[in-house]
Amino acid sequence: MLFVSALVTGLGLGAMYGLLALGFHVTYVVSNTVNFSQGSSMMLGAVAAYMLAFGLGWPLPLAIGAALAICALFGLVVERFLVRPFAERGSNGWLMATVAGGVVLDNLALFTFGKEPRSFPSPLAEEPVQILGVGAYPLQLVIPVVALLIAAGLSFVTRRTRMGKAMLAVVQQPEAARLMGIDTRRVIAVAFALSTVFAGIAGILIAPLFNVAAGMGTVFGIKAFATAILGGINSAWGVVLAGFLYGLVEALTTAYLGSTWTQIVAFSMIIAVLFLMPNGLLGRAAVQKV
Amino acid sequence: MAAPARSGHGQPAAGPRAAMGRVTASAWGGPLAVLAIAACAAGVAATAEGYYTFVLATVAIHVVVGVGLNILLGLSGQVSFGHVGFFAIGAYATGILMLEGLGFWSAFALAGLVSAACGFALALPALRVTGPYLAMMTIAFAFIVEHGAIEWRDLTGGANGLMGFASPTLLGQVLDDRALALLAVALAALALLFFHALARGAWGQAMRAVRDSEVAARSLGLDPVAVKTVSFTLSALLTGLAGALFAPLNMFISPDSFPFFQSILFVLIVMVGGAGTLLGPVVGAAVVVLLPELLSGLAEYRLLFFGALMLGVLWLAPRGVVGALATWLAREDPRTAGDAAPDPGPALGAADGARPPLEVRELGIAFGGVRAASDVGFVAEPGRITSVIGPNGAGKTTVLNLIGGYYRPDRGSVRLGRELAGRPAHRVARAGVARTYQTTQLFEHLSVLDNVLVALRRGRLGWLLARAAGPGDRALAEGLLAFVGYAGPLARPAGELTHVDRRLVEIARALATRPTVLLLDEPAAGLAREDKQRLGALLRRIAGSGIVLILVEHDMSLVMDVSDHVVVLDAGEPLMAGTPAQVRADPAVHRAYLGGTEFEGRPRDVPWQGPAEPLLATRALGAAYGAAPAVRAVDLEVRAGETVAVLGANGAGKSTLLRAIAGLHRPVDGQVTLDGESVERRPAHAIVAAGLSLVPEGRQVFPELTVRDNLVLGGHGRRERVRDEEVEAMLDRFPRLRERISTRAGLLSGGEQQMLAIARGLIARPKVLLLDEPSLGLAPSLVAGLYRVLADLRDERTTILVVDQVAHLALAVADRGYVLENGRVAHAGDAERLRGDPAIEQAYLGE
Repeated sequence: MLFVSALVTGLGLGAMYGLLALGFHVTYVVSNTVNFSQGSSMMLGAVAAYMLAFGLGWPLPLAIGAALAICALFGLVVERFLVRPFAERGSNGWLMATVAGGVVLDNLALFTFGKEPRSFPSPLAEEPVQILGVGAYPLQLVIPVVALLIAAGLSFVTRRTRMGKAMLAVVQQPEAARLMGIDTRRVIAVAFALSTVFAGIAGILIAPLFNVAAGMGTVFGIKAFATAILGGINSAWGVVLAGFLYGLVEALTTAYLGSTWTQIVAFSMIIAVLFLMPNGLLGRAAVQKV
Repeated sequence: MAAPARSGHGQPAAGPRAAMGRVTASAWGGPLAVLAIAACAAGVAATAEGYYTFVLATVAIHVVVGVGLNILLGLSGQVSFGHVGFFAIGAYATGILMLEGLGFWSAFALAGLVSAACGFALALPALRVTGPYLAMMTIAFAFIVEHGAIEWRDLTGGANGLMGFASPTLLGQVLDDRALALLAVALAALALLFFHALARGAWGQAMRAVRDSEVAARSLGLDPVAVKTVSFTLSALLTGLAGALFAPLNMFISPDSFPFFQSILFVLIVMVGGAGTLLGPVVGAAVVVLLPELLSGLAEYRLLFFGALMLGVLWLAPRGVVGALATWLAREDPRTAGDAAPDPGPALGAADGARPPLEVRELGIAFGGVRAASDVGFVAEPGRITSVIGPNGAGKTTVLNLIGGYYRPDRGSVRLGRELAGRPAHRVARAGVARTYQTTQLFEHLSVLDNVLVALRRGRLGWLLARAAGPGDRALAEGLLAFVGYAGPLARPAGELTHVDRRLVEIARALATRPTVLLLDEPAAGLAREDKQRLGALLRRIAGSGIVLILVEHDMSLVMDVSDHVVVLDAGEPLMAGTPAQVRADPAVHRAYLGGTEFEGRPRDVPWQGPAEPLLATRALGAAYGAAPAVRAVDLEVRAGETVAVLGANGAGKSTLLRAIAGLHRPVDGQVTLDGESVERRPAHAIVAAGLSLVPEGRQVFPELTVRDNLVLGGHGRRERVRDEEVEAMLDRFPRLRERISTRAGLLSGGEQQMLAIARGLIARPKVLLLDEPSLGLAPSLVAGLYRVLADLRDERTTILVVDQVAHLALAVADRGYVLENGRVAHAGDAERLRGDPAIEQAYLGE
């Protein structure tokens, strides 16, 4: 019983971490940079969808679509103003700049959305269904499926579409990609937009299970980054796998040891794994030349 | 020559970046400023009303944290988002120990030690990783501490926290808030003075050296892991002490006192003030603590304000307030080494009589199945110059890396009196092997003098606050700089040096370790002719002091001039060894460099005829890697339907020329016109769209994509999609590719990859096709096939500009040729005339 319900919770949480981590992965492979405001992007998706759907009364699908478009736009802004100016002169200032961008966004949301967390009604989170003797909302079962579908979709898109192949080209041979006429800046911008959209989807999916609040993304973003590092940030399946692993470790720790141990156990696992495998579970080391 | 992987990185530092070297320059100004500020703060603490003393004490505590983090961020260049963890450990340790009945002072000291021990323990796993990985480690640490504090209720009081500490006493007097504030100010002043001494001392210098280039630091005998661990531990110690004062000052601590966001504010303190500057943490702490107090009516906007402040600093003053001021105020000390500098000869000569030779035997290493070097052996005698030469990819630098300990050999031995093979680089350096690098690896933010001084210690740093250098060291360093011929200011940051000075300072730095063996990796690359002559004389003088000198160099005139013994490598294996005259006369060496008679190119049947108007032209084109010029004032023309070859020795600037034309490497001056349009300012992908296709050196196919995907990507820059018939046409031209159309390109053989790269370039239907070293690394039979294809393309009136080391072959298919020497066009003319010209041979093998 305890185990099954922990499993359901863990897979749901893990799918969210994996989805956010996939966002860290796509920007990292094309540009060696990441957006440390991924958690805020997630919050943005949830808050924007909430405000459009329940504030302005838009139909839910339209509100969700618009919220994801806002997330994409935020990704483009992050890349253009918080990452590119630093990355192009070889500075790692993007690290602090994206952290700062997240702080600014969180607080702007606080003023427009308010401090009070609100619940996000969803038809998929009203009536629990019984599986193996435990009750779970249908949404909890949907979430891992959606995350896996998105991961598979990403893999399909990059292999089959023109833009996707251009992206792979930039990852594999950045210089030759430019010689093929690929605008690497554009590809990097698209990768950032994609990463914030993934985060937005995660936010909207999880909103009905938790409350929507301006600060909802912070800890999520940090754990998702931990997940990306754990899996090996340059491996797409590595980060998704690590997401599920991390979610399960969290849920099982909470179930058997109590919630305060969750962070201690999960973060200790990160340090231990990095100590033993400095490139993560499925990551590859870069070769250094002199 | 091998080009840096991505342009834009590793450029030499311009003014502002270099300020870090100067900020700590004044010996007494810094401490005096610290004492003055501390005196003012103490004055305020002694007179102000209750709440203000508390705020002042809080600022002082944050200064201590800022100094601690500055050691890590400013000196070592490592970022931590977990310092609130050390702060909390310090606070809890004091609180718990005081509640257990220990006096404040013992608790305070123990808390610092506990925090330092935690820092040391975290450094072990954390410093194996860098960048985002390290950031993650520190974040994880902070969370573990925070939740540990909640969970370990017996010790920490859990979420309720701890309170009721006895008031600290000093000499029997109870310390009130005012006294505690004075204590905090005193601690901050001591921390700043400690930072000052550390930053100017041997350890601080070593930390900055490791930050700027770990590779170079190792070759001077420094152990980067040890240096960074010390930095991390000290950082944790100071942050823990700050926390230890925080507990009695606030009378109450709980997990809520140490939110994760506090770590980001700590980093902000260092960045606002200026990483690496002495007074930066004072400014940063004042801003971070006082501004919310001033804006108390707007408390809600506190975090928004901090976020915006952080962005403002990053965009406008990346060196921070103090850093920007220092850059603005700094005047460079113009002193040079001068004539009074002593002759370093005695220091360089063998202290204990004869030096042993360097004996290399059967040395070999393979990377992923590819043998980069095998069975390499030679004996390099003291006082003589042994050169290692060979065409591109011969394994020369690999051999230096094996000797220097940067690579661990799979087999073989390196003996210098005792066995060195397999030892880590810093141990090899301490055993007396010094080196320079193909791309100079100076410590960019350190002054020229400090670059040399840091090497004098050979990695033996002494106690924590040991001075970086005594007067004798300084004189020796100046003597070495004069000896190598550096005439510029001693205080100039290495990042601002011209290319030739970078080479000279790097040699002086290597000599400062007083080596038995000196390894020089292409010291003449990028130097002008006169500088090369001076370099040659310097090398003789160095050898004259009895050092074993091993030279890897492309410039054959220099090699033939100065060498006593020459070892020729080809494809990782020794080809021959002998005197310069023997090497020059050897037919096998000629074949390796110029291509032998087994290569036959098919000349044109009918001479080229066409419009005199060039389709592609460069005018006075110049390109450089950082400060190193690689292409100088090149005028070149390619007319429609013509095939033109660019020839020259390794490092002559051929590849750089093509890269500059294609937009991969932004030219420093001159023009490039393509079909009447000026393209030198456009990005690479726009130049492709304008009708230029470069088949890059090393093929650079997309390894994980199929052959078909690679071909289709070739047409990415065109307006219209690639049609199936076009792919078919390419497969007709390159039948080998048809069989492998669905194979991943990374699995193709070298020859197949080259065919694919050419097909991928052709499918863009370019006006001009550029080929960079198409025959490099291919077996002779494949090269013949490749050049048949090029001859076909030429006969179909494709406009081609080809760079190839195999000069005879390129000239066979070309209509005209240009010979580059030292980045300039030395000869140009009809291919037929150049084929018999002895100038070509000279350009490759020296005069």
